[in-house]
Amino acid sequence: MERFKLNRRDFLKATAVAGTIVSVSSLTGTTLVPKAEAATQPGTKIVRTQCRNCTADCGVLAHVKDGRVIKIEGDPTFRRSEGALCPKGLSGVQALYHPNRNKYPMKRVGQRGENKWKRISWEQAIDEIAHKLMEIRAKYGAEAVMGSTGGGGNPNFYTVCRFMNSFDSPNWFEPGAAQCYMPRTLMYAHTYGLYGTLQGQNTSLGDSNGVEGYFYNDLTMKSMILWATAPSYSGPSQAGRMLAEIRARGVKTVVIDPRFTPDAAKADLWLPIRPGTDVALGLAWIRYILEHKLYDKDFVMKWTNMPYLVNTKTKYFLRESDIKKGGDSNTYVVWDTKTKSAKAMPFPYDEQLSPALEGSYKVNGVVCKPSFQLLKDRVEPWTLKKAGETCWLDPKKIEEAILIFAKNATPSNVCLGVATDQNPNSTQAAHMSAILNILVGSVEKPGAVLQRYDDKGVGGRMRSSKLRHLLSEKQLNKRLGLKEHKGMLQWWIAQPNAILDAMTYGKPYKIKAWLERSGNKLGTAANSAAWVEGMKNLELIVHFFMYPTSFTAYADYVLPAVEWLETDFPTADFNAATARVAVTHTYETVNEYWFFAQLAKRCAELGHENCKRAWDPKACAPEPPYFDTMEKTLDNWVSMLDGMTWKEYKEKAPFEYVPMKEFRRFYVYKETDPKTGKPKGFSTPSKKCEVYLESMIELGRTGKPYSPWDLPPVDVDYDALPYYLEPDESPNKAIGKKFPLVMSNGRLPYWHHTTLRNIPYLREIKPYAEIWINPVDAKKYGISQGDWVVVESARGKTHAKALVTEGEAIGCVYMERFWNPEALNTSTHGWKEMNVNVLSKNTAPFNDVVGTYTLRGYQVKVSKAPSAPKNIWTKPEQFEPWMPQETDQTKIVEL
Amino acid sequence: MKKTAIIVDLDRCIGCYSCEVACKNENHIDLGVQYNKVFTIGPTGKFPDLEMYYMPAMCQSCENPPCVSVCPTGASYIDKDGVILIDSKKCIACMSCISACPYGARKYNSKREYVEKCTMCSHLLNAGDKPACVKACCSKARIIGDVNDPNSEVSKKIAKAGKAAHSLPDEGNKPATRYILHDKTAKWQEKKSWTFFDNK
Repeated sequence: MERFKLNRRDFLKATAVAGTIVSVSSLTGTTLVPKAEAATQPGTKIVRTQCRNCTADCGVLAHVKDGRVIKIEGDPTFRRSEGALCPKGLSGVQALYHPNRNKYPMKRVGQRGENKWKRISWEQAIDEIAHKLMEIRAKYGAEAVMGSTGGGGNPNFYTVCRFMNSFDSPNWFEPGAAQCYMPRTLMYAHTYGLYGTLQGQNTSLGDSNGVEGYFYNDLTMKSMILWATAPSYSGPSQAGRMLAEIRARGVKTVVIDPRFTPDAAKADLWLPIRPGTDVALGLAWIRYILEHKLYDKDFVMKWTNMPYLVNTKTKYFLRESDIKKGGDSNTYVVWDTKTKSAKAMPFPYDEQLSPALEGSYKVNGVVCKPSFQLLKDRVEPWTLKKAGETCWLDPKKIEEAILIFAKNATPSNVCLGVATDQNPNSTQAAHMSAILNILVGSVEKPGAVLQRYDDKGVGGRMRSSKLRHLLSEKQLNKRLGLKEHKGMLQWWIAQPNAILDAMTYGKPYKIKAWLERSGNKLGTAANSAAWVEGMKNLELIVHFFMYPTSFTAYADYVLPAVEWLETDFPTADFNAATARVAVTHTYETVNEYWFFAQLAKRCAELGHENCKRAWDPKACAPEPPYFDTMEKTLDNWVSMLDGMTWKEYKEKAPFEYVPMKEFRRFYVYKETDPKTGKPKGFSTPSKKCEVYLESMIELGRTGKPYSPWDLPPVDVDYDALPYYLEPDESPNKAIGKKFPLVMSNGRLPYWHHTTLRNIPYLREIKPYAEIWINPVDAKKYGISQGDWVVVESARGKTHAKALVTEGEAIGCVYMERFWNPEALNTSTHGWKEMNVNVLSKNTAPFNDVVGTYTLRGYQVKVSKAPSAPKNIWTKPEQFEPWMPQETDQTKIVEL
Repeated sequence: MKKTAIIVDLDRCIGCYSCEVACKNENHIDLGVQYNKVFTIGPTGKFPDLEMYYMPAMCQSCENPPCVSVCPTGASYIDKDGVILIDSKKCIACMSCISACPYGARKYNSKREYVEKCTMCSHLLNAGDKPACVKACCSKARIIGDVNDPNSEVSKKIAKAGKAAHSLPDEGNKPATRYILHDKTAKWQEKKSWTFFDNK
């Protein structure tokens, strides 16, 4: 890099290139037309890699000249994105060469919040942090050290978890998890099953699912219900793109969202639901489908647990061993209508039996019901009328939507997005959506979203493993929030608010250190101000990220992370193995995995026995131990593919690892299991799709199947069926008088979580946070188009700019997450100006199973602000200081 | 004569702004200047019965471009593909073209002191490639080609769309760009005058 010493104008000239490798005719005379030259110049190459500005991994062609990335564009050969690249991906070069990158390890020299730093070496940083961690562990216990991850294009989700297990601390969290995706991964694992693929496991379009839609030239799908999801905004170059293709081919869509998004505008029907009430609507859908017999009777009878009898006293299913001496304890029982008696139903199905789906029967003196009947009982109050009243919807429109989904529409899919993960109805919503898909039999048939794609692990297995067996039973039992919220065991994670309480009040014990790897926790966690308060009690705060954020201002050490263009990582494109490859490297930035490995190593040297074990292959087996270098780590990850090395892998990628016809098989549950000679069924306790979840009761009582040890039971059993909880803050309660509007959030196509607010070309599009408000409400509260608005909740207040639009449900407002990097060096550190999570609700009630708090569906009020917040940039030219800069001369860091 | 134009399928366009950012990246456009901008049209109607679409706006590739005819120095010209370009060396920033363009598709760059506009990435067209906005488009809504060649992809697309192929108001300048929008997505909103980029 030392040959460059350019100012910005020179840099622009040097980077003015075109993107083809074909020969180029020069264009004379027109100076505004950049010359198409670089790709034909010596020293210029085009590298195939992948974006990581969100979780989608779109294919990218990076043009690199003399080690500098001069241009990126979509890779047309990458099938998930077909050459498309969204604004987030397109900002890769501005992010990589941002003048405010974290460049070297830095140590605080002033007071916290003064933002005074000195550069130190990696050796010094790791040594000092390790010493401090060991000191805190000796004084307060390992559990006083807490870690976190999340916040934007998380390149390697379990890195922090792995370190915490090595350190024998049970406490790590991310602002997502119970608030993003975990409710769905958990409930689909319990209803549909858990398989070796991450590409069909559930219906989250933002998480590499919905693969059938990508085969749009071979389409059997009839309808798709976009429930609480806006793919055109959250993932335009993959799921948003796929939807454009399937809509063009006649697939009907329904959008359930309080906001009139691009997908809502293009849908056959839009249901602008009151935020937080989705489960009420879902229960009404189920009721209607049962009442009008719109379910797939054959599938329900033969491939779900709905005919099985439940003992209404124990809430557990009857087993053959309950009705017959010496009977099998794994065989379930039905009520046979022919013989009018309880009969064991051998797997997969006995055609001689005629099981009842409805009714109540006495077996051995106990009232038993088929779980179908229990579901029917549960949804009974939820008429269309009641759902309409609860959800602020027209019952006729609800019915129309149900018919699009369920009448002569198979295969049809309910694709559930993140919105329902963000309030205490989270797991119930996921459960409800799974039931809808199961009822209509949209499981593993062509066109169904739920599929058992056989990718042999290329999709999501080649990455950090948790090393969860390194955490001791004693320490696991100290995990904050675990006793109540055992569903968190699936991700082996702690509850954010329980951590915040421990930080703030020292109960049940003190937290003293925070190792944070992500963007801006003060923009993503509920009730930002409470976190800043809690952080005052910490003795050590480490921030590892690509650039400083509001969080950095409160840290003691800042460590520089690689951008995605500097990152190697194995990825997947359906059945193909693909690669993100580092195309350059700047400053002393490192991969998070390397940093945490080195930290574990230094702790081991300082006498931490468990950290020593994390480097011992035998102690870690069957998972890999830590390795000294990224190269060895990558070698280990890809070695599952016929013993390949990373070098071999990245040179060969992309390559089909599994033939397509083997990858994309349908009806896997009907295939014969060679071990039993019977159909494979599903990977649930009953080997059927499970609607009634005995496994939830078991989870609450014991921690099974996730904990290796029996854990103390929850005070109240988890529910085996979904139920609706009216939001704690609701317009129907007293608080609605003071705070009359329901707040929701959502995505925009140019942001991912709280990242990218420092990208000039993106801030130029939208320099501030908007609040969407219906004209009816705007008039009521004296707000005009474009006004600055004060938005206030019971937690605090912040600002946003009004977008007065019919495209927001009456009585509801929407505001996108935001923070202001330009205000980092002011007293606000950029998190107070227009940050919706200053308002959100971190307190109980939580979702019982996974501990979700309330990021959407709480109450606010709005008023016209006297002026814009101070120190913010809203004009394009103001972002000039953030335009790409030349990297200064730096030594190559050997890692 | 060849007339290269961009056709946008608004039934497909999902308003993701990729075209805006790809354009700025490719052409290294200064902050405050744009060649291409996505307008949100609507929502129209009354909640909850609404329609909305997105309209990416850029040079409309006129057959009779007034911006070229009014240019006193010959800085504005039409190239061999029918692309309207500006030779910035010849531009004296007299602003005549800005007044002449019926759509306000040109922008004065006060830092560089000349007028800029969409070039259709002619440097890429000349290299046998496509414009950055077309390549990055997430919903494959943008296609480029010669509207005067009846066998081109754009001509076929326009012909197939029939009445669903809309153009912005024509004052004799004959815009070649077409926006394809069927009533099923949303009704086309006629707007008498457009200013894509503000030059105040």
